[in-house]
Amino acid sequence: MSNFIGLIRNENMKIYRRIANLIMLALLIGFIGLNGIITKTEKSAPVKDNWKQELKAENASMEKTMKKEPMMKEHYERLIAINEYRISQGIKPQENKNQWKFVSDSPDAIQFILIFTIIIAGGMVASEFSWGTIKLLLIRPVSRTTILASKYISTLLYALLMIVITFVISWLLGGVLFGFEGSPRSFLSYTDGKVVEENLIWHMWKEYGFASIMLLMMATFAFMMSTVFRNSSLAIGFSIFLSLSGTLIVQFFSSYDWVKYILFANVNLKQYFDGTPFIKGMTLNFSLTVLAVYFLVFIALTWIVFKKRDVAA
Amino acid sequence: MSRKPLVELQDVRKKIGRKEIIHGLSFNIYGGEVFGFLGPNGAGKTTTIRMMVGLMKLSGGKILINGKNIQTEYKQAVSNVGAIVENPEMYKFLTGYQNLIHYSRMVKGVSKSRIAEMVELVGLTDRIHEKVKTYSLGMRQRLGLAQALLHSPSVLILDEPTNGLDPAGIREIRHYLRELAEKEGIAVIVSSHLLSEMEIMCDRIAIIQHGKLIGVQSTKEFVESGSTRKVRFLVDEVAAARHAVSHHVKDERMTLGNGYIEAEMERDLIPEVTATLVVEGIKVYGISSETKTLEDKFLEVTGGKEVV
Repeated sequence: MSNFIGLIRNENMKIYRRIANLIMLALLIGFIGLNGIITKTEKSAPVKDNWKQELKAENASMEKTMKKEPMMKEHYERLIAINEYRISQGIKPQENKNQWKFVSDSPDAIQFILIFTIIIAGGMVASEFSWGTIKLLLIRPVSRTTILASKYISTLLYALLMIVITFVISWLLGGVLFGFEGSPRSFLSYTDGKVVEENLIWHMWKEYGFASIMLLMMATFAFMMSTVFRNSSLAIGFSIFLSLSGTLIVQFFSSYDWVKYILFANVNLKQYFDGTPFIKGMTLNFSLTVLAVYFLVFIALTWIVFKKRDVAA
Repeated sequence: MSRKPLVELQDVRKKIGRKEIIHGLSFNIYGGEVFGFLGPNGAGKTTTIRMMVGLMKLSGGKILINGKNIQTEYKQAVSNVGAIVENPEMYKFLTGYQNLIHYSRMVKGVSKSRIAEMVELVGLTDRIHEKVKTYSLGMRQRLGLAQALLHSPSVLILDEPTNGLDPAGIREIRHYLRELAEKEGIAVIVSSHLLSEMEIMCDRIAIIQHGKLIGVQSTKEFVESGSTRKVRFLVDEVAAARHAVSHHVKDERMTLGNGYIEAEMERDLIPEVTATLVVEGIKVYGISSETKTLEDKFLEVTGGKEVV
């Protein structure tokens, strides 16, 4: 086991001792900083004392629009229900500018984390081949399976570290810009026609959790491409392309029945908790099964190819 | 020299696709010797080395290292091996020291002092904390050697070990490899295209061509074996000498010069010819024999094609 920790430390050393990878980290922090500055300078109307009347007026206008646009019915129903809940429970709408609101918006950064993780995953095995170092790496008394596992786990640890950094930097920056607050306010979510009061931080971690499924699947996919094709540009390019166009692909084929078996139709589990499933009849268990099958196929392919390959590069 | 083979190749075969590129190599390598692996480009040297370290799988036969099968007991077998396969490619963005730390974490029981000792040994102490990308090829070669020796292997495999070294560096490495073999009883396996290098460095040489073993011989035997050599006798009377030598050597194998006679003969014949000359009353001022170099021999054996 101590051997395995050594391998993880090796992989980490190879990730964090490279300037290019540190620049990615700087970009992520830069993005959060920019977000903070924009939020700080942005003008927003203060919440007035007669906020109950204002919410009622807002609901009335939304109900009108809802009749004109039946497509958007669910979206408006949700907003109206939340507003009504505020009025009946006397929960004042929050101003946009406070530390916890800023922190709870931080899952937006996961788009960047996704791309950066794909870049790391796509280079993980392919770079060893292009550097020629694979020959010295694979002649040690360590099985190929163990080496592959250490590389995969290091990739996931990188993604995790990025999330933690995002959270910590957001919290610090939010505190500096908007003043530190003790406990977070509550968040109102709408599920199955009911409004539920939730802890804001719990809500935020749920957002991270949902987004992490995509992160995990695409990191695994990029890692597989890296191992199978030994070409980091191909692995990274193809994985980023799929990540960006995934939703589009699903929409394009949405008239076919088999679209529900596409990875990207299942990757957003939020659809089962907050809102409605993408395709009627899809369930959480169905999506979890599809995800598990994709995941196992990716891992199995990666492992078999890495294990069997003659290193001739 | 111990007589227990450290590396055994038994009918090793390799197929790529349908084509067999290694056709049944068998030979043993012992502790305490420097073993040369010689062959023209594309003969299968590197493929064989890759199979010895487990980078490639065997299609047939087996390779034993210290009695352990590289295929079925990979970890035990490979823990006895230190190697540089082709160029010593290191992580260029890390320092030399970080590279060594990296490899030390992959084996058991390499201490910091062992790393320092290896750094000292290959003469990189001053530069070890600089990034590898600032190193010359020779320095990378030395770092490669340090990496291969970290875990005190009993078999050291080096592909083109003197590649990119200056003459002083080559002499140093040669000296060091000999010392490793003689003092520590390590089996050192080198492949090289520098035949003259192999001649000075190796105890035994295996020649392969087209994936087949042409022969394994001691370097000395290899150079001297069987074939005839030209022997030049400096004499006072060339014509008389010709008559005397013709008792042993046919006329067409002799050449006459100004004050000397040259004849092709086997080594054992030299004293007899000399005796005849003396008996016939011819004054012999000197005898010189032209030794064939490994290079001549190699060209002779492999047909002189594609030697790089």
